[in-house]
Amino acid sequence: MRKKYSGIEKKLSRWGWYFVTPSLLFFVLFSFYPILNAGYTSLFRKKILSLKAPDFLGFDNYKYLLSSTDFWNSIRATFVFTIGTFIPLVISSLLLAVLIMNLRKGKKFLQLAYYSPAVLSSVVASVIWMTIFDPRGIANQWLNIIMRTPGIDHLWLSNSFMVQFSTILVYFWKYIGYFVVIFIAGLASIPSSLYEAARIDGAVPRQIFWRITLPLLKPTVLLVSIMSMLQCLKTFSTQYLFVQSGSPQAPINVITLNIYNTGIRDHLIGRASAMSILLFVIMLFFTWLQFKGSKADEVSY
Amino acid sequence: MSLLLRTSRDKAGLATAKLIGILILLGALIFTIIPLLFMITASVMPSKDILKMPYRWIPRGLYWQNFFKAIAGNDGRYMFFRNISNSIFISGAVTVTTVLLSAITGYGLAKFRFRGRNIVFLAIMATMMIPFEAIMIPLYLVATKLHLQNSYGGLILPFLVNAFGVFMMRQFLITFPDEFLDATRIDGAGEIRIFVDVVLPNSKPVIATLAILTFRSQWDNLLWPLLVAQSEKMKTIPLYIVKFAAEKYTDEGAMMAVAFLASIPMLVLFFTMSKYFVSGASVYASRKG
Repeated sequence: MRKKYSGIEKKLSRWGWYFVTPSLLFFVLFSFYPILNAGYTSLFRKKILSLKAPDFLGFDNYKYLLSSTDFWNSIRATFVFTIGTFIPLVISSLLLAVLIMNLRKGKKFLQLAYYSPAVLSSVVASVIWMTIFDPRGIANQWLNIIMRTPGIDHLWLSNSFMVQFSTILVYFWKYIGYFVVIFIAGLASIPSSLYEAARIDGAVPRQIFWRITLPLLKPTVLLVSIMSMLQCLKTFSTQYLFVQSGSPQAPINVITLNIYNTGIRDHLIGRASAMSILLFVIMLFFTWLQFKGSKADEVSY
Repeated sequence: MSLLLRTSRDKAGLATAKLIGILILLGALIFTIIPLLFMITASVMPSKDILKMPYRWIPRGLYWQNFFKAIAGNDGRYMFFRNISNSIFISGAVTVTTVLLSAITGYGLAKFRFRGRNIVFLAIMATMMIPFEAIMIPLYLVATKLHLQNSYGGLILPFLVNAFGVFMMRQFLITFPDEFLDATRIDGAGEIRIFVDVVLPNSKPVIATLAILTFRSQWDNLLWPLLVAQSEKMKTIPLYIVKFAAEKYTDEGAMMAVAFLASIPMLVLFFTMSKYFVSGASVYASRKG
């Protein structure tokens, strides 16, 4: 009897392997191998289309990048974009989600309306905003009405400060509804008995938010901020399209754009691989940092 | 008395807070909707009217020429149809393989005990930390070596499955009742039969959610097609728009028409299946990591 049982166990454990093997093979070939390959290639001077054997350089590609103003500019551009986007994004989507949850009517409608820009592709979003930011477009018209500065062009797409702000605005617009919807799902999972108990004890809405909602929502807040931060660190489409359509490259030359230009346009595969590895390390580090920062006080209920 | 006074003041404060809340919600609504309305209205206006002050939110007539320019393209080869079909085909194929492989793998991880299961799960989750942008160059070199440039195979292959899909299916299937599976097993059904006839039909909502998420993100993919699809015939719709925008930057009406036309498939999907767009979010909100 016992023998037969273990036979079934064995058979099932074999089936477990059958089920996971195809995906596991895929991840080995299309994730682990390429990142190891990028690490290896980053140690060489290698050009696409060149028949010459690649020269081994050791860490010279990294040394070059860390002393290159162009690469530091990319790091700066990436961080300005990331910090300028994900912090406002997390705060305002949380605020909107809490406000929506307090409504009696129109919850569904507002969620869908806020979400709708997320349905468009990044390229479409960028094209729409490029037209809005046109020197004679509605961005200038409206800003001039608000600021009472008729006829001024605020150079949304050409001034080095404004073009950074513009890319942030496009991204903020596209993703705010997406995160509102995630926060609403998180808020809905908090048991309503907790709110009732607090109200009976005489808590005011502000206290309820800071003492109950926010601590219990912390896991969602953490996940949303990590996710949005990682997405911002690898932003590409908006910056690419803006540069293609004539915006200055330097202010918005984010790391991914630099990898693309170095590797694909300039054919410097070794250097582009070193940049890729640095981007990977930056993303790993900041994810670890956020997890560590949040481990300090965990909640349970 | 003092108690009474305080509550009435609190009430007044609450009413103002509520009003401010509603104003914020309305402001956000205007902010999200205006660019969409702008795209739709500007797509039927001649370019010289789009930049006129003040902007006319109700167009005077329908200027259809924008749409003709949008589909004809700069070269007049009508690549719009070919490119949007490519996008639909590639996103559809990626969605099918992602859903199937995620379900199979998630099922294996959720319902079978085998040595090394935790390591396999962690290894798959670890790939979430590897950004595609960091591995695109090695993948590009492999694709070149295997002559996969300008082919559907090359465009689809790196996206057959992803760690997030596996995670989502595993989280769902962990709650699937074991008794149900064992009962079918005792009836003599093979493991593949159980997966196809029991597991898949009972996972429909989560499959629909994953399918929408996958389709949407693949529809938005710009970087990989930019590397691999060089011929006009193999381009996807984001590449069509990039080219159109770079060459027709001065024709705003045509640009908005192409943006609008390119969004129609996603907008139709959104209006018919909005439930599944929104339900994708709850995956992130669940605390059962």
